Formats: sequence, structure tokens, C-alpha cells
Amino acid sequence: MKALIISLLVILSFNFTNTASSAETFFCKDELETLPTQQGGRIKPLYVHATEVMKTLTGKGKQDDVSATVAFCMLSLNGMGLPTENKLMARIDHVDAMKFLGLPEGEHSIAYETLLTREDDIRNEARRTDTAESYKKSMERLFNNVFLYKEVKAGNNWHLAEVQDNSLTWVPLITYLTEEKVIAQKQLTPVDPFLPVLMRSKAVYDQAFGTRYMVELYYAKAGLPTVAMLLSILALASMVLFKNFNIALGFSGLSIVVQIALITLRVIISGRAPITNMYETVLFSGSGALLLGLILGHFKNEKIYVYMGLCYNVCTLMMINFANGMLTATISPLVPVLRDNFWLSTHVTTIILSYGALALSWILANTVLIKRKLGKMTRKEEATHADIIYTTLKWGTTMLAAGIILGGVWADYSWGRFWGWDPKETWSLIVLCFYTAILHGRYTSWIKNDRFMTVTAAAFMSVMMAWFGVNYILASGLHSYGFSEGGAVFLGSFFLAQIIILVITLNPKDGPKEEFTPAV
Amino acid sequence: MKKLVNIDWNKVERTIGGLKFAVIIILCFTVAMIIGTFLESYYGTDFANRTVYKTFIFMLIQFGMLMSIIFAAFLRLPPKKRLYGFYTIHAGLIIIGVGSMITYIAGVDGVISLAPNEPNRQVILSKDVLKFTYPEEGKQVTTELPYSAFSKEINQEYEGINVVEYIPFAEGKFVWAEPINSYPEYAPIHSSKYFFKNPFASEEILLTLHPESSSEFLSSQTMGPLTFNYMPKNLAECFALNNPSGIIIWNSERGDCFTPEERNLPVKSTTANNRFVVVPVNGKLITFFPDFSPFPVDTQFQVDQKSTIRSFSKKLFEEKPALFLFGDRLSYYSKDSKKWIVENIELKGKPVSLPWMGAEINLLDHQERFVPFKLPVAVVPIQKNGVVIKGDIRAVRMNILGREYWATNYSPLSLIIGGQKVIIEVTKESLTLPFELALTQFKMDKDPGTNNPASYESFLKLFSDGKMTNHHVFMNNPLKHQGFTFYQASYSQDSGGNYSSTLAVNVDQGRFLKYLGSLMLVLGGIWHYNLNKRKKGAQA
Repeated sequence: MKALIISLLVILSFNFTNTASSAETFFCKDELETLPTQQGGRIKPLYVHATEVMKTLTGKGKQDDVSATVAFCMLSLNGMGLPTENKLMARIDHVDAMKFLGLPEGEHSIAYETLLTREDDIRNEARRTDTAESYKKSMERLFNNVFLYKEVKAGNNWHLAEVQDNSLTWVPLITYLTEEKVIAQKQLTPVDPFLPVLMRSKAVYDQAFGTRYMVELYYAKAGLPTVAMLLSILALASMVLFKNFNIALGFSGLSIVVQIALITLRVIISGRAPITNMYETVLFSGSGALLLGLILGHFKNEKIYVYMGLCYNVCTLMMINFANGMLTATISPLVPVLRDNFWLSTHVTTIILSYGALALSWILANTVLIKRKLGKMTRKEEATHADIIYTTLKWGTTMLAAGIILGGVWADYSWGRFWGWDPKETWSLIVLCFYTAILHGRYTSWIKNDRFMTVTAAAFMSVMMAWFGVNYILASGLHSYGFSEGGAVFLGSFFLAQIIILVITLNPKDGPKEEFTPAV
Repeated sequence: MKKLVNIDWNKVERTIGGLKFAVIIILCFTVAMIIGTFLESYYGTDFANRTVYKTFIFMLIQFGMLMSIIFAAFLRLPPKKRLYGFYTIHAGLIIIGVGSMITYIAGVDGVISLAPNEPNRQVILSKDVLKFTYPEEGKQVTTELPYSAFSKEINQEYEGINVVEYIPFAEGKFVWAEPINSYPEYAPIHSSKYFFKNPFASEEILLTLHPESSSEFLSSQTMGPLTFNYMPKNLAECFALNNPSGIIIWNSERGDCFTPEERNLPVKSTTANNRFVVVPVNGKLITFFPDFSPFPVDTQFQVDQKSTIRSFSKKLFEEKPALFLFGDRLSYYSKDSKKWIVENIELKGKPVSLPWMGAEINLLDHQERFVPFKLPVAVVPIQKNGVVIKGDIRAVRMNILGREYWATNYSPLSLIIGGQKVIIEVTKESLTLPFELALTQFKMDKDPGTNNPASYESFLKLFSDGKMTNHHVFMNNPLKHQGFTFYQASYSQDSGGNYSSTLAVNVDQGRFLKYLGSLMLVLGGIWHYNLNKRKKGAQA
């Protein structure tokens, strides 16, 4: 029967008259992006799934002049025997992997069709145990991608809704697109019978479950992370470069509205608290910090809070937009242990907000350190800033303590123990200890202003370790569900940059000379 | 009596309650924790617990913190209004500390494994113990093993057994050991080590008939579709005979064999076309149905599994790839020539080609009476992707009547001392529940269209005070009964596809105090900083 379909498709393909465009897309049209599909345990629009697949395979969503949906559709058609043109290229970054694949220096891409012929070699390389961990990982990833490519190409990755025996089931394209359906449809729409057959799956699904999944299509197409980033950058520029606080405030307000919309949409799509993977925690801490900065700035009548919030917000939004290897925007179902919205939203939110507050102190401490080194900081300014940092530390530390305790209560409630020296738990306690030590030292003037900035900036490294390091470097224990790759390099660079700043600015003689005792 | 040292208690109080001590002890605690997390990442949770988190020094640091907190609060008495928040924070911390101490001393933290429909009341705790079981007397004795990360000398004597050393993390190093018991000359107790190779894989295979071998060494092994079966060396003769019935009768104690054809024993068929053969043994007649069971049946059609006389039907092994090894000979069924081929394999000689896709086999080593044994050697464990991949053997070395013996958590030692049988095993301390639990069903839901688990659920029956109640335990929904709390923790699946469920069992008398202290800590923090703010506001 498959052969019949193939011949049918080939014959039909001559019916298409839109030969004006260079590449033949057959019935693959952008309309298909609204089709619901079941992937990774969720229902999502085809656009989202196709974009994810294309990003996984090639590193980018859009393929040359066709959208991800069309590219995905055309690759799937390959399985039905249609000779669609396909030039999907894999991106190879590991030097040894490039060598293994025989790529010349500087050439980072290789066609998937070429990789298919070497599938066994790639699998063997991925299974070797005598190679470097990074090489092994990159080969494993490549092998998985080749596997995914094969699956898509065989028409098995595209799942469509169909009614069978009075219940809705999901079947792959290769099973869905039968000859009977196409022939029946051809009576009605002789020119293009395929699209209506495919679109019927949407009608069937929508009738049974509604169109809630379409929210994700609008979400994915709106590009809110980019909008928010631009707004925040504009706000920061207005404040720092053009010294216009009101405009900065306006842009900040817009940006926070966009970010809240972004977070809310994710909540609507996933039906849970927006803090379940690295992408979401980074986003949430950045937005939380900006919001906190705006609120504190308003009540304390101090512009610097807005500056801190914006700086950190821009950092997080840049990570969200550019660090795709480390933070994936994909919304996936949760591991069973996390499926408790109450605890998830209280415990994780508190912790992430505390990280946001501590990040504010980190921004200001580094700003003061650098400004002082450049000789642009008066003693009075330093003292004011020290007080502001102290305020954010108080907020951050109290929230962190509350968050850790909430985590303990949750662990007690669902695992049967309040505390178990799990790496994530332990590291959050380490962070708390560092900041408690600083607060105690500051409280009794043991740590003076000059050193206060240095230790505050340094202490944030413990936050980064607890937040990213446990998942990217330690990667063990019960909390390892957040594990993703590519973060170790990021974290290493962060530590290096921070340490360099600390070392350069270490000599406090550069700054104000008189002693200052903070009022407590 | 005159005091030898005059301690200035005020000074001690000021030092311990002082800020420097607080910061130093907090930093010590922090450094220890950092080390702990890295050790855990490389060497596993158990190793980190034994080297950091559950050591005396770490407890001492925590005690020091508690002292620092208490003294710091005392030093700031009588109460000042400005410090109310501070008092609340410190009181909260002290209460958490006391609660944790109560949990540590009196609490229970263990797991219970529930196989389907098998009632259980045994909770496994974390302490290592050595358990002596005397089955004849029905007596059981346990002795606690040291909680350490490295090998420890013990030198304790118990009823003629001298427990010499405990190795908490060990790897097995292969050796040929002297057998403990003596065996008659003819007993088939030999072992061979082969090297099997095909274009896709190569592997060393050790097969043994020795009853004393470590539990990981067996007489058969599978590799993909191929099975390796190790048999007493004399049986090769019978394989070579290619008798028409394909039936071999053999003696598992003596390792010798004959065919029904040799002794003119007729192989008959029942009306249902099942083959059987009647064999006279020591004047008695015993009946075999070789195509069903190696063991004979008696006149009541009861299978006698203790029989040393057994049957073997080669016909059962002609379809799927099966290799029979007899030390320096091997046999397989050749589908081309439709008969069993027997070939010699020379020790350390050339590889013998096998009929399956370019496979070949070598004989690396052969021992007639030595025991293949994995000698436990102390190692530092290694963890990878959350699983301990090296050093998961816990071993105890013992000296009994001048000879060295080992017992591990994988292979218990069983021997006869002074005419009395004893089984010695390295295990975990256990606790008997005052009630009984049975698993009726374990359910695992998957996310739609994937293999990712979405939930784990156990349906339980609880037998307590003569009453039976049904319960449903799943993530974030524990079962509470008589002070014990049961949480869904893990599961496992046996080869038959049946799920067993593992529940975490917990008794925590310190819970209320810990919660109370936590609440005070957080509220105190907010109060403290609010007070400060108000004060500052007044100044401005």
C-alpha cells in the first residue's frame, strides 16, 4: 500500500502549478503550523514542535527560505517517497568530532544525508569508553540527532489526531495519510487533496478538546523574550548613557509588563508554576529582581535600585535569548516528584526571588568596585551604596532562609525527611551561611565598607554554584532533574570574570581613605 | 579540692557568643559542606556521608554553631526591645537544633521493599551489620559494623569466628581460591575461563560448576540470542555419540553419563506424544520426561528435584543458538550437517570457530578444583550519573580456625563450625514493624506518547490489630500509621515484569520542633529587619 501512495503522490505532484518559487513544497504550507501534535508528553501546535526539531537538528528554526513548519513537513514527506529537496545540515563544534567526520578546518556543518551513511560509526564512537567526556557527549548528541532525523524522515515523528473506535488517538503521518483518505478527498478538492486531509485532524481534535493549545502558537510567534530584552536595554541605556530617568522608568515598566505576559503565557500553557527548568528560573529571577528594584526604588526613593534591577534583568534576558545550548525554552512535563503546584510555587519561587535579590547586591557591589577602581566614587556614595547593598542582602537572605525551610517542609512531606544533605540542599545552605557570615560581620562593623563590596561580589559566586553549578558541575542527587548541558563553560567563564574583577579591584587604597562605621 | 585550671567562664561565654567565633564556625561549616558536595559528586552519597556529613567532626561543628547561637543570645540579655527579632531568630535556630537532635537520636529513617502480594514488616535502616544465622537452633545474632569510609580492623571473636576487618567500599579482584570443603576425586567441580569474540563484541566468560564459587559466577550465561552452558567434562562423550533419541542420562554428583541407546533402554511415547524413558537405578525404576524436565518423576508423577540422576534432551537446543562447553571441549548443533559437533579447544591455543556469524572462542584458563573467587579489595567508590559504578561491595574478612573467609553483601558465607551450620551475611540493620504491609498493585503512569513516568503509585493492604485496611500511596501522598509514615520512594521490576515498590519509612519525633523553629526563624528575620528600618527611619 505504501508503494501505491508513493506513486499517487508523485503523480499528484505534477498537479501543483506554483512553480514560480524555486523550491517545490508540495502541499507543505504554513497553514499546517496550527495543527495540534502530540510530542514529549504534551499537545502543542505543529509550529512549536517543528521549530524545536529544526533547532535541535540544525541550531536554527527557519531553514533558508522556508519556515520550520514547511521544512519539517517536507522532511516528513520524504518517508512517503516524495523526492523533496532537503539540505538539512548538522552543526559540529567539537574539534575531535570534526576530525572524526573528516571535516576540513573551519567547516562546522555536514549534511544529515551524509551522516546517515555513517550512522553505525557514530554510534560506535558514542559508545566508546576510552574517549574524553566532552567528545563522547557530542557524539551521543550527534547520534541522537541522526536518530531524530531518521524518525522525521520516516514520517514517524509527526503525530496527528485521529478518531479510532470512538476515541481520539495519535498516529504518525505514515499511518495517518492513507490512500483512501486522499482519494476520497480528491473527489471534493481535486487540486490539493492532502492539505484538507491533514487539517481534518485539527478539526477532530478541536472538537473534542478545544483550541487551548493554540495559545502556545501565539506565544511562540510573539517573540516576547526579544521584545523584553530590547525594552530593558533601552531602559538601561536611557538611564546610564542619556541620564534620563523618566524614560528609563517608562521602558522598564513596558519591559516588566512584557515579561509578566511572557511568564503568564507559560503558566497558561504548562498549567504550573513558571519555575521548573533553568530557562524559567533565569527568566523569573530577572523579572523578579527588576520588579523588586522598581518597588524598592519607589519606596526608598532611590534610583540606584532601578539601575540594579535593570542591569540584572538585561543579563538574564540576554541569557534567555542567546544561551540556547544551556537554557532550553521547551516546555516539558514535570518529573513526578515535582507535581505539586502548591509547593513548587512557594518553595522554588521564594528561592529564585532570593537569588534575584542577591543578584541586585552583586550588580551594585561590582559597579562600586569598578567605579572605585576608576576613581569615580566618593566616600559618601560608597557608604550609601553599602547601605543599599545591605538592604538587598537582608531581603535576599531572609527569603533564602524561608525558601530553604519551605523546601525542607516539602521534602519532609513528600520524601519523609526534612534535610538529607542532597547537593542542591547543601549548596543553598552554603549560600545562606556565606551571606549570614557577611551580615554578621557587617552588623558589628567587622567587615568595613571597603571589604564589604568585595565579599558581597564574591559571595554571589556561591549563588551561581548553587543555582547552576550543582546541575552543571555536580549533577547528582535528587535535584538533578534540572540537569542540562553546556553550562559548565558558562559557569567557568563567570567565575573567572568575577575573580578577575575582584583581584583587580582588591586594593582598597584606590578608594576613599577615611574610616567609615555604618549605622546599624 | 583545688581547681587545677582557673577557667574564666565569662571570657569563655564572650568568646563563644562573640562574632568572630560565629563567623569562623559558620565558615568551617560551609567549607565542610562544600567538600561534602564535591565528594558526593565523585564518590557517591554513602561515601560523602561517611567522610563528612555523618562524622563526629561535622557533628561537633554543628554543635559549635548551636553553642555560638545560644551564647550570643545570652550575652544580649536582659531583653532589649530593639533585639526582639534577633532573639526570635536565635531561639528559632536553637529549637531547630534541638528538634534535629531528637530526630537524630530517636528517629527512624529506612526503607521497606514490597514485592507483589508478599506481606512484609521488615524496615531496612542505614547501619551496616554482620548477621549470624544458626538455622538449626533458629538463632540469629547481629553485630554492628563500624560506620567508616575506609577499611577498619575489628578483631572481635564470636563463637569461634574472629571478625578481622570490615571494608565498606570494595571491588572484587579475581583469584583462584582453595576450596573450603573437600570433594571426591570424580566430583565435577571444574571451572573454565573463555574468550568469546564476534564482529560486534568480545567478552571474557567464566563458567564454573564449583559449589563454592562467588555468586556472580554461574554455569550458564547468555549473550544476545546465544546461550553458553557449562557441563561436567565427561558429558562431552555422550554429546559426541549423536544417538538418535538425543537423550542423555547423567549423574550430577559423579559427572558421568550414558545414552538410552547404549543400555538398550527404549524411549517410548505417551498417547499425547510425550517422550519418556524408564531408567533402572540401584534396583529402582525411575521415569524421565526429558523434553519437559531434567528431573525424574515418581509413580505419583511428583517431580524429584533432589535426584542426582538427571536427563538431558539435546533436541531442546537445536533451534536457538546454544553452545555447550565442557572445559577443553565444546559442542553445538550444526544445522547444515543436522548433527551435534564436538570439538576440542586447546588451553591457550588457537580460537575455535563457531557457526554463528563469525564468532570464535578461546580457552584461557581451566581449573579442576580451585574456586573462582572475587577477592574484595578496598577501593574509593566512583559515582557516575548518579549511580555508584565502582566499589559497591561491602565485605567482612573473618578468621575461622586459622583460615581466611569472606562474607559480602552480595555473597553470604555459609559453613559448618563444630558440626553446626552457620550463615554469615553483611547486611543492613533492620527494624520490625508492629504491623504488616502488602503490595496489591504498583502502578506507573507515563506521559502520553512517551516513556517518561508521570506518577508512581502503590496500592497497599495494611494488616494491623487483626484488621485489614486498603491504602493508596503515591508522590506527595504518604501513608501514616502508628507514628510511622510511608512515602513512595522507588520501584523495581523483576525479570517476569512484576513491579516491586520501595517505600521510605520515617518516624520523626522532632518534626514539630523543627517546624516551630523554622517559623520563628523566618518571622524573626522579618521582624528584626523591620525593627532596624523603623529605627533608621526615626534617625532620619
